[in-house]
Amino acid sequence: MKHIYVLIGSGLLLLMASCAKDKTNFDLKPKEQITVTGLESSYTTISQKDHLTIDPTVTSTEPDANFDYLWGIYETNVQGAAPILDTIGRTKKLDYLVQQASKGWVLVFRVTNKKTKYAQYFTSAINVVTQFTRGWYVAKDDGSQADMDLFLTPVSLVPDSKVENVYSVVNGGKLNGKAQLLTYFTSYKSTVTGVLSNTKALFLTTDKDVSAMNMNTLKQIRNINTLFYQPPATAAPDAVFLGSSANYLVNDGQCYSIYAMSANSGQFGVRKMKDDANTPYHLSRYFLTSTSTDPYFFDDMSSSFLMGTATGAVMTAVTDDAVTAMPAQNNNKKMIYMGFKTTTYVASEYASYVNGYAIFQDKANPSLKILSQLNPNKTKMSMVNDTLKTTDKIFNATNYALLDGDENLIYFVTGNQVWSRNLSNKFEQLQFTAPAGEVITFIRHKKYTETGYTHNYVLIGTKLGDSYKVRMFIKSSGSLASSPEITLEGKGIVRDVMYMSPSVSEYTYSNSY
Amino acid sequence: MKTLKYVLIVIAVIAVASCKKDQYYLFNDTARIQFGPDATRIYTASYNLADTLKPFTFYYELPSVTEDTVFFDIYAIGGVSKTDRGFTLKQEQVPNVSNAVAGTHYVAFTDPRVSKFYTIKAGTVHTSVPVIVLRDPSLKTNTVLLKLNVVSDGNFQLGEKSNLWRKVQLTDRLSQPASWNASFSQYYFGKYSTVKHAFMIQATGQKWDESFISVTSADYALLQYYIGVVKTALIDYNKNNPGNPLRDESGELVVIP
Repeated sequence: MKHIYVLIGSGLLLLMASCAKDKTNFDLKPKEQITVTGLESSYTTISQKDHLTIDPTVTSTEPDANFDYLWGIYETNVQGAAPILDTIGRTKKLDYLVQQASKGWVLVFRVTNKKTKYAQYFTSAINVVTQFTRGWYVAKDDGSQADMDLFLTPVSLVPDSKVENVYSVVNGGKLNGKAQLLTYFTSYKSTVTGVLSNTKALFLTTDKDVSAMNMNTLKQIRNINTLFYQPPATAAPDAVFLGSSANYLVNDGQCYSIYAMSANSGQFGVRKMKDDANTPYHLSRYFLTSTSTDPYFFDDMSSSFLMGTATGAVMTAVTDDAVTAMPAQNNNKKMIYMGFKTTTYVASEYASYVNGYAIFQDKANPSLKILSQLNPNKTKMSMVNDTLKTTDKIFNATNYALLDGDENLIYFVTGNQVWSRNLSNKFEQLQFTAPAGEVITFIRHKKYTETGYTHNYVLIGTKLGDSYKVRMFIKSSGSLASSPEITLEGKGIVRDVMYMSPSVSEYTYSNSY
Repeated sequence: MKTLKYVLIVIAVIAVASCKKDQYYLFNDTARIQFGPDATRIYTASYNLADTLKPFTFYYELPSVTEDTVFFDIYAIGGVSKTDRGFTLKQEQVPNVSNAVAGTHYVAFTDPRVSKFYTIKAGTVHTSVPVIVLRDPSLKTNTVLLKLNVVSDGNFQLGEKSNLWRKVQLTDRLSQPASWNASFSQYYFGKYSTVKHAFMIQATGQKWDESFISVTSADYALLQYYIGVVKTALIDYNKNNPGNPLRDESGELVVIP
């Protein structure tokens, strides 16, 4: 019993000793706040030419603050390596000759109050550019060889000068074939910087070759012979474009892809099979995608829709959705045109849905042409058909352009005229008549938003003799203005036009013919 | 109550007595020798038992090639020495398998052609152990196993038990490379068979040997490309041989998942 008393006594002593008076001080000062003014949210500079000269004003909520400064810069959009902060200044005023490669960087300004040791970071986006990273690019050819013209736009969308045949000037020769499509990738993998990394690459596709160019220099990175692990036997490219999680290339009607969500060498893989029996197929040159959806193709051999997938060697056969006007498989049609209209993100599904239109011609009855609204739903598709009358202007059209979003219209070329057709009420309206002798070779809708460079144009390219004109029209409720806002002129036949700026990304424009 | 007290005391004594320090070898212990992973992997615990078995085949070599060398990594423990220190290897006969025969399937460890390399040089603790394997005609139809052990000698005592041996699986037929492991089967090419292996070689023009698989496995995009090439070739083969699809040596259908 005595032992128990001793034990209990010892326990109580320990308990008492463990009590301590709470001396916590709740009279806390508010957190110090350092404020910097005079630091812009972004700067655009030319490497080896421009100085970053910034002299910000720095204040603190702490009286008598004494600051220490550090300026640093690091690379963005890096894959496969950790970006390193390079110190470029230790005084409040920065005067730094930009030497970084042309791409996106982040400027970091660290301010430390030496008295309190409190530090705060401020950042600013730095776009390092070259003369090639801003302007209108025109893809053109002379009937057998392709090139590009670059219209420089240093102060506004209206060009102040032109670099003619810029592709051949830089690369020492033209690209074989007729120009077809310009597409842009900001995460294309190459070793142009010395290590395998994301590269801003402009792709010019012709009917005989593809040139992947470093956007900063326009030097060719790869062509049709080096874009693949195993080059295809026939070089007949149809398109190169970005789909969800993958880059796609269609050559000679066969589909190839690069899975973009893992390390890759920038080379396209094996030809995708149509099905598990490797049934022969030949895709139409037209495709339907947004950058956040898998692309839809049309196999002209079987008259069937197929869906490309980022990985895997086999494409997916598209089946019919609940209500559809025409089967997605074996519908006995030939595709005349297909293009992108809209994309819709459904937050509850974390998924995007693309929507487009196509024009079909019946294989058995060529006088049967159908304008179809395409509503893909993952591996299913529903179509809403508008059977065209032979008297409709669009029936004999030769060139088409869907509006990217915007009004529910399709523009088309018939003869030397551009017409529009209302996709809701089928109303057709003359929009533009090319001057006598001019042949319309190209029509496309392009829109882009950037302070000072925002535009929403319907571009119409024409050819007269060996010269071209690209007229850029604004539209109002779908009707083109009576005269173009900008006109580009040069030599050759224009096939595509793209406005390029350091802010353009692979998600900026809809990928579509 | 007294009994309970005794029981408690006995349990306490047993508990204390059961504590025993693990017998790790110390780095300042006597000189010991043991195999180990590649020198770049010695601090990666998951590689502690890597390279215990190295399959080797002469299948890919030209007929004029009659011998080749398989290398293992060996480490001295207990610090460096100012003088070279030889170590001793000995073959162990493994029951129920065809054991390699010295002079027929490999150059004996006592042969000066190789024994001169079985030395930890002064000032170092690591060396590569060459095992010269011989292309005996019997290997065209047979696979033999060479198990080699380090044995204690005047220079070295034995190291950790699990690292005292290595094995070479030797043949002149197509055999499963070590890098065609469980995950390579599960995620890429499926179950191994020599028929599938030979088909892959024929379809791609690549060796699909240890070195090729190791390099290709590190490049997902390239691996996907080859999977596509083999898959396409297999479908085409089966289409061109109706009713007689490609089957492996066990009669199972060859499948690329």
